[in-house]
Amino acid sequence: MTGDYLLEGLAVPETLNLLHDLLERVGHEHPDIDGGDLMLFETAVIEVAGNVVEHGRPQGAVSWTFQLRVLPERLEARLSDSGEEYPGGTWGLEMPTDPLQEDGRGLALATAVLDDLEYERTDSVNHWTMIRTRA
Amino acid sequence: MTDSRTAVLQPTGRLNMVAAPAFKNLVEETVASGQTRIVVDLALVTFIDSSGLGALISGLKATRQAGGDLRIAVVPEQVMTVLRLTNLDRVLPAHATVLDASHDW
Repeated sequence: MTGDYLLEGLAVPETLNLLHDLLERVGHEHPDIDGGDLMLFETAVIEVAGNVVEHGRPQGAVSWTFQLRVLPERLEARLSDSGEEYPGGTWGLEMPTDPLQEDGRGLALATAVLDDLEYERTDSVNHWTMIRTRA
Repeated sequence: MTDSRTAVLQPTGRLNMVAAPAFKNLVEETVASGQTRIVVDLALVTFIDSSGLGALISGLKATRQAGGDLRIAVVPEQVMTVLRLTNLDRVLPAHATVLDASHDW
């Protein structure tokens, strides 16, 4: 996909704040986007990106490209990363059953706020596609 | 209302993967100093992610292990939504004000 917005960099914790800043810019430039939609989309983007930062290998050396499109009916983003392949299936997509578990909620939370979250690997690149239908 | 065992912590901005480790350490240091009843005032938190939630749960466990508790107050909309979606509103119920959270430990 081609994005209205593009961000490239290394998948390290500090660059998550650049993604936050980008989402904030999207909100300023598209005041017609429902605040709740943007808030939940940002939540999903940060969780998916955080998952790459945490589980992408080799850690600290994974680079990514983030693209975002604002369409009349939906918000669509794609995060492409250069890391190793991720295990497939429903890995990480369900909430932990132990409420006092400290981690493991990221992708489950992203799934809960998106209409579609897809993972695919093509030509040694991981692609995470996130879609939220607009209110 | 409060005593020497009670502390109010007020994180600001984004409580995400960048900020969560420092917040977790702050809670641990607070508990280690003998203040095992902690109210986290979330009024100035603009965004929380699962790392931030993990830091709150870590703090909840640390305070309880020391005989205290951790409570959250003045919870903004995004934080409340994320707590509900992860079912963590059951273990971390939101208090309207810091004062409300500081009674009946």
